[in-house]
Amino acid sequence: MANEAANISLEGASAHRIEGGIDAIVIGAGVDSLAAAAYLGRAGLRTVLAGAGPEIGGRVAAREIAPGVEGIDGEHLITVLDPDVIADLDLYRHGLEFAARRLDTTYFFERGETLRFDGDLSYAAYTSLEDDDDREALEAFMSEVLETASFLRPAFVPGVYPGGDPQPQRTLEKALGQASPELMSRIRYFLAASAEDILRARFEDPQLCTLLLAETAFRSAAPPNEPFSFMSLIRRYAGEAAGLQGAAAYPKGGATAVVTALRRAAQAAKVDVRAGAPVKSILIEGDRVAGVALEDGGQIRAPIVVAALDAQQVFFDMIGPAGIDIGLQRALASARPEIATARMQIILKGVAQDEATQNNMMRRLLYAPPLEAITAAFIDARAGRVPQRVIVEAIFPTVLDEGASLDKRQVMSVMAHPLPADEAPDAKRREQIRSAVFDSIEMFAAGFSGRIEADDLWLVSDEAVALKSGIGAYAAKPNVLKQWALASAATSAGEINGLFFCGPEAQIGPGLSCAAGRAAAKAALRAFKRGAP
Amino acid sequence: MIFPAEDFFADAPRPTPLFAAVASVSEANLWTCVNGWTAARVYTSVMQEYDTAKNAAVLADLGPLARYTVRGKNAAEFLGRLTTAPAVSLQTGESARGLMLDDRGFVLDLAEVSRLSDELFLLTLPSPHARHIALAARGLSVAADDISDQVAALGVFGPQTADVLAAAGLKSVSETMAASEVLRGVETAARPIQFGAMPGVELIFPKDESLTIWERIMRQGAGRPIGLDALEVLRLEAGAPRPGLDFAPAASGGAQARTPEELGLAHLAPLDRGWFNGRRALRRLAGLPRRRLVSFSIDAEQSSPGAAVFCDDKAIGRITSCAWSPARKRVIAFADVDGSSRGNIYEISASSPADTRVAARRFETAESALARVFAGVQGQKSPRTTDFRR
Repeated sequence: MANEAANISLEGASAHRIEGGIDAIVIGAGVDSLAAAAYLGRAGLRTVLAGAGPEIGGRVAAREIAPGVEGIDGEHLITVLDPDVIADLDLYRHGLEFAARRLDTTYFFERGETLRFDGDLSYAAYTSLEDDDDREALEAFMSEVLETASFLRPAFVPGVYPGGDPQPQRTLEKALGQASPELMSRIRYFLAASAEDILRARFEDPQLCTLLLAETAFRSAAPPNEPFSFMSLIRRYAGEAAGLQGAAAYPKGGATAVVTALRRAAQAAKVDVRAGAPVKSILIEGDRVAGVALEDGGQIRAPIVVAALDAQQVFFDMIGPAGIDIGLQRALASARPEIATARMQIILKGVAQDEATQNNMMRRLLYAPPLEAITAAFIDARAGRVPQRVIVEAIFPTVLDEGASLDKRQVMSVMAHPLPADEAPDAKRREQIRSAVFDSIEMFAAGFSGRIEADDLWLVSDEAVALKSGIGAYAAKPNVLKQWALASAATSAGEINGLFFCGPEAQIGPGLSCAAGRAAAKAALRAFKRGAP
Repeated sequence: MIFPAEDFFADAPRPTPLFAAVASVSEANLWTCVNGWTAARVYTSVMQEYDTAKNAAVLADLGPLARYTVRGKNAAEFLGRLTTAPAVSLQTGESARGLMLDDRGFVLDLAEVSRLSDELFLLTLPSPHARHIALAARGLSVAADDISDQVAALGVFGPQTADVLAAAGLKSVSETMAASEVLRGVETAARPIQFGAMPGVELIFPKDESLTIWERIMRQGAGRPIGLDALEVLRLEAGAPRPGLDFAPAASGGAQARTPEELGLAHLAPLDRGWFNGRRALRRLAGLPRRRLVSFSIDAEQSSPGAAVFCDDKAIGRITSCAWSPARKRVIAFADVDGSSRGNIYEISASSPADTRVAARRFETAESALARVFAGVQGQKSPRTTDFRR
């Protein structure tokens, strides 16, 4: 339907073209944009998706990281992809396939010890621990954490859109009203206490404590010794991958497979997907959106605009501070981001010969520095220094995905955390970060450096440049309470009728989720059906 | 411009630039604190000051109010966003009243905006709002500077205002347009203001020259100073609510926040004009007042804030401020009452004798008359009658 939209301008006169007959415009080319557009298109709205860059995918994009070798920026694992989006948009039918699901995790510690967790966290204790007391403690802990995470799942879906779907919140409120005193007490404890306090109280085994602290702190700007930090782990374990709570999975073709499936779903829903159509401003007439103005001077008029770019771009650049409420401005003008995660893709020469290494290359690997080192790393990163040791998550896409394999080489995809969130790091700074990541990998893969053929470091500043945004949106997120406040402010979109925001600030926690895109689209549909816009 | 509630528990209030001048003429020597500044409650007697205001001209030290200069290319847009005053459409020299609202459409404070040139405005507020203003200025080409500490401000009110100003040598100053003039070598800005319904002129000059200007005006003998207590009577007669007394500014949170409509000030925040902060939320709240601030005259010699208000024998609210009105020969009061209450017979609880009530009736003030006219105009959906510029 979108392609049949009435075009009231002269053909080819794009500089001053005004397009009408459109029901909804989605700004952005990321996964949330695609998901939102697909939902709107499926509901019968004539929808245009306008992406600024030449490619669709946003921060998840394929890029040549070395001659002849393509890597994928953005995410490398699926951990929190909204199962409702997969089901509603039929992503499996549109090509989403997992090359590896229920990925086991091998944890590496400072002195060379390892522990392995099953991909299904319910069985984590059985695969890794021999001591009965530790096993019992971990089993009970995982059971409690998974139950709490599952219970709180609706709280991690943005739900304060004007006219949005209140169902998740209602479900949560109802559930909270009926929750047992024991569960409520646990939720309060998990909410308010620090991860360090909770884990030290539960585990005598220092390794279990360390690995869970590393999992909690990984990709969060909240150090594990601060209140509310444990909610980062709850958020992570509330997600699911390939139908399994708290699990990780690798899609066939990498994270771009999610983009491809979403794009197909959008196109099947007759969404007009346009790359290279940068939006200059959002048109607001009265208190309502009226469409968007494009960089080329044209306009697309529509009563619904879903914005999936970062909040700074949407509210300050595209609407302007004179058009938004001061309270929203206050919420968005948060403190400068201090912590970021670095992405690194490393091409290694040769093929592992020993069975243990081969097995580990089929798992998710996580290096957990000692607790003191994690705490010091956060202090250093906040102070703008590169830490000596960082938490490292690594996978081998060329092993996990047969289609990605290379001849006598492997690609190691790494995420390292915490690192300082630099606006514009110079070559020296990049080298410091590179060395810190290599040193941390050496802690569990001795001799690894000698096998490096090429490497590609992708920092938050690179991501910001690629997406023409500030680093704030893509730096590590603060504790969940702060994220809730920011998401509430951003998704209320200053109460501009017809505007629905699903940029990175709307999402609680890191990872490819699409929950914000889905929530924004649902709210937009309700508004459209009510005739509010 | 209305003074906010007094700070009864403030430590060591600062003297205003005019303090030495006004203290020299204070016979009552009765002082209080407003926004951390010293303010006179009474100079001679409340009745004498009130009579002078009604029949001649009075001088009020407006030093405790917060003042900002707003400069820049986006100054008009900034003020149009920060306040409900129609800053964008003001011509140079014009002033307008407005409100500051929060994002939820609740009143943060009153505001008065004067355009001094294309890109220069003066913003006067009952209380300082430095952080809110700084946030609102982000992303706009505008600089808002707090000049409260740097200038003295003297309000001249009453029917003989023009005579007082002329006698002092300020011949080009009018009660309708802002202007500046050199008085005894001191650059003095004058702009029209309004205390409740009483129009006047505010003179603003460098604080170091405050005594020079004060002496110049006082030497003519035409004006007498007025304290807060007499101003309070004038305010209640005019129906102008006082922040912190008749309503709690929205920033203080809680259920006390009020919309313009609930304060009887809907005409200061018209929804059919340009966008201002909180307007979108206000649109949802329009026509749904939970409470109303109404003016009563009470058949009694005295009453007190907190006294219960009854309508057809049903308790509907409480008195928020009151004073004896020489003009009405009664106690007049503001009362915060249930927004849905409708009735004819109003009574106010009396403290003495206990458990008794006295009759009260609503009366129209200059402010409520404006609100009524505005509501009528809105009912006719006329698009051209909502600009209350002076």
